[in-house]
Amino acid sequence: MTPNGAFAVGFVLIALAASNPGPRGLALLGALVLAFALIELRGATVIALRRAAVVVLPLAVFMGLVWVGFVGKAPYQIASATAGTRDAALAYVATLSGRLFLIVVVAQLVVLRFRALTPLQLIRALALPASAKRVLVVTLSLIATLRHAIDRAHTALIAAGTLTRAASLRNLLHGWRLMQAVWLSAITIMLGRMRDKWPVENTIARLDRALASGEARPFAGADRIWLPVVLGAGLLILLADRVGGAP
Amino acid sequence: MFTTPRLILIALGAALNFSIGTIVYLVKLPIYLDSIGTILTALLLAPDRMAAFFCAWAAAWASLAVSGLVNPFLPWFALTDVAIALVAALVVVGAAKIFRERPRRSGPFVAQVALCGLAIGIVSAVVSVPVVVYLFGGVTGSGSAFVVALFLKSGQHLMSAAMLSGLVNDPIDKVLQVLLAALLYRATPGDFIAMLRGPAPAIR
Repeated sequence: MTPNGAFAVGFVLIALAASNPGPRGLALLGALVLAFALIELRGATVIALRRAAVVVLPLAVFMGLVWVGFVGKAPYQIASATAGTRDAALAYVATLSGRLFLIVVVAQLVVLRFRALTPLQLIRALALPASAKRVLVVTLSLIATLRHAIDRAHTALIAAGTLTRAASLRNLLHGWRLMQAVWLSAITIMLGRMRDKWPVENTIARLDRALASGEARPFAGADRIWLPVVLGAGLLILLADRVGGAP
Repeated sequence: MFTTPRLILIALGAALNFSIGTIVYLVKLPIYLDSIGTILTALLLAPDRMAAFFCAWAAAWASLAVSGLVNPFLPWFALTDVAIALVAALVVVGAAKIFRERPRRSGPFVAQVALCGLAIGIVSAVVSVPVVVYLFGGVTGSGSAFVVALFLKSGQHLMSAAMLSGLVNDPIDKVLQVLLAALLYRATPGDFIAMLRGPAPAIR
C-alpha cells in the first residue's frame, strides 16, 4: 500500500464517520476499520486503539459532564422541544464519542501504517506539489524547534523572576511574555538558518532533491483493492439505516 | 508569491497555531487561541493582501493537518479557517501600520485590535455554527460547549444557542488573538519582515 492510497482510504473512512451514520452504519464502519487495521497493521492496531482512547476518553468524560450532567437532554430532544432524558443524552454522547474514536483510530492507523518510514520519507512518498511537501517538512521541523524554544524561554523567564514554576497570578499576567520570547527565539533561529546555515549547507536544494528522489506513485498495489472496497462499503454504510426499517 | 521566507513563515504560523491551540484545547478554556499564527502571518505580509490571504490560509490548513491528530473536531472547521484568513487579509492587514507604530498610540491601537477582533469573531461564529449544529449537534470538545449548554438550559433553541455561544465566545477569543498577534508583530525584527516582503527569489 502506498501512503497516497492509505491517506485516500483514511479520508473516505473519516468522511463516513463524520456523515452521522445510524447504528447499523456505525457497526459496519467499525467492522471495516477493524478489518483495515488487522490486515494492514496487525499488532500495531493495539497502539492505534490505545492512542485513540487517550485522545477521546477525556473528551467523552467532558461531553458527558456537560450534556448528561448539566443539560440532561440530547440535542435532538432540544431541537424537537420534547421532554429530555439523561439516558438519551448519554446515548447521544456515547454515539458521538464512538464516531470520534473511529476518526482518531483511522488517523492513527494511517500514520502507523508507515511507522517504519521517517517523516521525511513519508512526505516524499506523497503525491503533492513540491512546495506543499516543503511546507510540511519545515512545519514538522519547526514544531520541534518551538518546543525547544518554549523550554529555553520558560527557563529564562523563571530565572529572571518574570514567571514562577508553579501556577500563579504572575504567570497569568506575564504569560504573553513567554509567547513573545518563544516567537522571538523561533524567528532568530530561522533567521540564522536562512541567512547563514542553509546557504552554507545548501539545505533547501538538498531538501528539494531528497523530496524529489524516489517515485511518488499515486496509487499502486493494495490501494487498488482497498479503495474500491472502502468506496463500496461506504455506499452500504450510507444506505444501511435508510433501508429495512428501524434496527 | 511563495518565496522560501514565506514558506518558512507559513510553517511558523502553523506551528504557532498548533502549539497554543492544542494547549488551550487540552485545558478546556471557553476560548480557542488557535489562529494567532494565521493572523500573524497575514500581518507580517502587509500590505500585500493577496499574499497575506494565501499564506495565512496555507498556515491555517497546515496546522489543521497536524492538529487533527490531537483534536478530532478541528478538520471540520477548515472553512472557518479560510474565512479567518480572508478577514485577516482584508481587515487586519489594514491595521498593520498602527500595530507597528513607535511609540505606540494606545487609543488607535486598542480600537484597531477591538475592531479587527470583532470582525474576525463575528465572521468565524457565523461560518462555524452550521458545523457545530448539524455535524455535532452543538457538542464540541472545547470549553465553549459549557456556554452552549448554558444557553440551552435557559430555554434557547439548539441553533440559536450555538449561534449565541459563538457570538459570545468568538469575538472575545478573536480580540485576544488579534491582540497577541499584534504584540508579536510589534516584537518581530524588521529585517525578518523585510525578508518576507522583499523580492526574494521565487522557488518552483
